[in-house]
Amino acid sequence: MSHFARRMRYVIKRLVQAIPIVLAIVILNFFLLQLAEGDAVDVLAGEAGSATPEYMAELRAKFGLDQPLIVQLGVYLKNVVLLDLGYSFRHEMPVSELIFDRMLATLLLMVSTILLAVGFGIVLGLVAAISLNTWRDTAISIFALITYATPLFWVGLMLIVVFSLNLGWFPTSGMENFAMFYEGWDRVVDIAHHLVLPTITLSLFYLALYTRLMRASMLEQAGQDYVTTARAKGVTENRIMFVHVLRNALLPVVTMAGVQVGALIGGSVIVESVFAWPGLGMLAFEALFSRDLNLLLGIFLLSAVLVVAVNLVVDLIYSTLDPRIEVS
Amino acid sequence: MNIRSTVLGALCAVSMAFAGAAAMAQKAGGTLVYIVQPEPPSLASFLSTSGPIGLVAPKIYEGLLDYDTDLNIVPALAESYTVSEDGKTVTFNLQQGVHWHDGEPFTSADVQFTVMEILSKVHPRGPNSFREVVSIDTPDEHTAVFNLANPAPYMLRALSAYESPMVPKHLLEGQDPRNSDLATNPVGTGPFKFVEWQKGQYIRLDKNEDYWKEGLPYLDRVVGRFIPDASTRTAAMENEEVMYGAFGAIPNIDAVRLRDTDGFNVTTDGYAMINPMALIEFNTTKPPFDNPALRRAVTVALDREFLIENIWFGYGKPATSALSSNFAATGLYAGAMPNYAPNAQSEQAIAILDEAGIAPDADGVRASVTLDLIPYGEDWRRAGEYMKQALSEIGIKVELRYEDVPTWLKRIYADYDFDMNVNYFYQLPDPVLGVHRHYGTDQIRQGTHFVNSSQYSNPDLDALLVAGAQEADATKRQEIYAEIQKILANDLPVANLFEMEFLTVYNEKLKDHATSALGSYGSFAEAWIDD
Repeated sequence: MSHFARRMRYVIKRLVQAIPIVLAIVILNFFLLQLAEGDAVDVLAGEAGSATPEYMAELRAKFGLDQPLIVQLGVYLKNVVLLDLGYSFRHEMPVSELIFDRMLATLLLMVSTILLAVGFGIVLGLVAAISLNTWRDTAISIFALITYATPLFWVGLMLIVVFSLNLGWFPTSGMENFAMFYEGWDRVVDIAHHLVLPTITLSLFYLALYTRLMRASMLEQAGQDYVTTARAKGVTENRIMFVHVLRNALLPVVTMAGVQVGALIGGSVIVESVFAWPGLGMLAFEALFSRDLNLLLGIFLLSAVLVVAVNLVVDLIYSTLDPRIEVS
Repeated sequence: MNIRSTVLGALCAVSMAFAGAAAMAQKAGGTLVYIVQPEPPSLASFLSTSGPIGLVAPKIYEGLLDYDTDLNIVPALAESYTVSEDGKTVTFNLQQGVHWHDGEPFTSADVQFTVMEILSKVHPRGPNSFREVVSIDTPDEHTAVFNLANPAPYMLRALSAYESPMVPKHLLEGQDPRNSDLATNPVGTGPFKFVEWQKGQYIRLDKNEDYWKEGLPYLDRVVGRFIPDASTRTAAMENEEVMYGAFGAIPNIDAVRLRDTDGFNVTTDGYAMINPMALIEFNTTKPPFDNPALRRAVTVALDREFLIENIWFGYGKPATSALSSNFAATGLYAGAMPNYAPNAQSEQAIAILDEAGIAPDADGVRASVTLDLIPYGEDWRRAGEYMKQALSEIGIKVELRYEDVPTWLKRIYADYDFDMNVNYFYQLPDPVLGVHRHYGTDQIRQGTHFVNSSQYSNPDLDALLVAGAQEADATKRQEIYAEIQKILANDLPVANLFEMEFLTVYNEKLKDHATSALGSYGSFAEAWIDD
């Protein structure tokens, strides 16, 4: 069997395995969310200021909330199988449309954060490992410790105070300038400008993690037998470090990045809230407080799928980094 | 028909003269970005009185009347009105040449449809405001005659764009208004037209070029931005990304700092129509608060001025009665009542408890209660912490409970599973609209929010409430409400804490944004930017 065909088979097998996992997650989430007191109708009526019990009963019937739980779950599962995520009665929009609208903002923030955090994390970890026990190593370790220990919302607010209010370099919040409504290329630049502070804030936390992981991983690999062998063969130190050790040391970092994609959606609630970034995190947060269960389940489902997919990609990257790890 | 007329022509002329005098300085153009928080669930102001909807919808829709900063009635879609001698016929003369944003003309048929089919049926407060309206005649396109079963003096106070928006008949007729596309795509007659709503980001409204008020609005565009984090809202204001934030969008702690910063200012104007009151609801049906003596002791033991000074930064006035002192303007406020001291009277409170035989146990505890707190921000939590401490001094042991909105609403208004609940209510411009719902037996409506959760029922009071609603004579009405306030100060199913003063923080470049009593629930038609 060719290498490519083997890979395809592996991917398909993994995808099939993912179906029961995702279904189990949906069912678990469904029941978990039922534990919250009150429902979407309570919130809508509460916000409206007042509503008659008849009207609330009518709304519950319209939302399907008057049905027994098991029927509600059945209807939801049936819809999910048909790739229909249902309707958000609060937003009066299909869930898929709502999620898709916010997805782009979240992906933008997530991808730029991962690139920044993993990229810089690897570089810093590498530098620290190479200059073990020098002032550079110490400085990097202290930096990592501080950024890891500082709460995200505080970092965000401090960046706003320094770079928006005092220096005036970046806007405080939002994804675009709403006084101007730029179009075309100007809009891209405007969005990039708005993206800087949230990305830095969210990256700092993960950056620390990758730095420490990379440093430890490099040191561990440097003590392996194959390094001694390479050295005995007369390979230069630089080549040992950057070709042999680096490649192996990357494996745990890549694993970690895969696991954290899911966490990034959650971690971005704080950053999205501080910077008024219109992503999925905020949407989920608001959905929880308005008991918009369809929307919340949709977002959970999406994160589950995303984590499964990213982990599959990570496994594929593994085999590229280290051909000894066969996909089978 | 002998007509006691209140024609608004003269008033109208005066206000136009004012507009003329000030027009020299006004500049047209520009975009006003302001804070809308939280993001509204829809823009259906004809279905919901939800605060954030009120921040946006009155820019698009208009009411029959408006109210100036002294609460005088001024013309809006109705250029004048007359009330018959017996108070049972109210005739509105509508403005000529008004068009909906889709180009259709606005006529008396729209008024008839809005009031009879929409507001009286699906609006949360409409069935109350228009309860005496039997029918509406439309003798011609510009006249709407309201026929009432009984005089309804309060109705004329409920006709603003926020409270009773006029909606287009041609877009709603024959549909279920609760499922209408109008909820997210509003079409009104107001100074700004709806353009787009980017969920999670902003609502954009553009100038209505064909607005019926000549020369208005000044602004080209109004954008309502959603910023979830309070500190970021403050930063955005300081960075001039937004120019206006009402209803405490900027927390008081930052507002007082901005007030003292160049270029920014703070106002408490623009909240007179909603008349907010902070209060405690007691559950009067179960121990320990079924005993009125304990309720009296609590209200006497609390230091209202302390709350205002230390938690709300001096913005607020101690409550002195069931009615806000703002009702002095209409003569209905009867002055300070007993049991409403501005400062704590712990000794008096203890005397009340001793007299009622509520004795302390070995640990000095006379009663153990749970205090629920309205989940609308940190200030309320701090107020709860203060109350816990203050009440412990008179032997009432308090446990605080702070839950999220749906859980809290269900607990207080559906399950009645509480002892005492800190909350705030809008008393609105007439007690019939905002205050009766606390106290009437007919307002014990399980599952309905913001009504009589105390489950207080007093036939004498019920009779007075009905009389107060229907009395057309101002002096007699005053006497009825004085009696109501006396009864309530003694029974105290609800203890008012303080008359709230919300803060609007704005950039000083923004002018004339609070030209009506509606404030941020108004239209921004006359607002302009001086840069």
